[in-house]
Amino acid sequence: MRLYDIVVLITPDLNEEDAAKVTADYRKILADGGAEVVKDETWGRRRLAYPIGRKREAYYHHFQVSAEPALIAETERRLKLSDQVLRHLAVRADEEQKRSAKMAERIRKKTVRRPPRPPAAVPAPAPAAAMETAEPGRSGS
Amino acid sequence: MRGMPSRSGGRGGSRDREGKPTARKKFFVRRRKVCKFCAEKLEYVDWKDVKLLQSFIPERGKILPRRISGTCALHQRKLQTAIKRARAIALLPYATD
Repeated sequence: MRLYDIVVLITPDLNEEDAAKVTADYRKILADGGAEVVKDETWGRRRLAYPIGRKREAYYHHFQVSAEPALIAETERRLKLSDQVLRHLAVRADEEQKRSAKMAERIRKKTVRRPPRPPAAVPAPAPAAAMETAEPGRSGS
Repeated sequence: MRGMPSRSGGRGGSRDREGKPTARKKFFVRRRKVCKFCAEKLEYVDWKDVKLLQSFIPERGKILPRRISGTCALHQRKLQTAIKRARAIALLPYATD
């Protein structure tokens, strides 16, 4: 199972209810295919940054699902076929998350390792002394 | 901004015009640019966050270069893909005139 972000743009020709029905169809496809829907949010009718097929607005819907690659391929195929879907984007989210988690870890380690150094180093005393003089004053007043 | 120091400081003004870059440093303490993502500890640049991405999109719709925004190389790369994805689903423009 992999984590995916899927954003679907639905024609503004439909009213809000029908657009919700279209997203419900895809929700069903995903759920039936054995995907676990993590996030499921409608952004509503938004202005497009540029016209797509003469349309200037669209209903946006965002799914975040944990699914098998084959299911995503199938859903994308159906999204492409649909006339009601102006555009869609499906990208993997788990790799990015893993990488950023790793990076956060590395940064944390670095900041943990750093503090012991200042007292010994030459340039450090100045800011440290400034803080020491400033703090008692603040606490005293 | 560049023309400013010649009047205020007599020391390096003429030298500055001769093209010595070291002289300029005395007058400008250019504010150090800090990577926004590093400063806020944002590891992941969300391509769905239009408000954030918009701050890196000047009027023309191009991606703001690193030398101007001060973003670090790693985050600029992430920002770049995020902006490109946002463009694909019309959250951001490819170009505006």
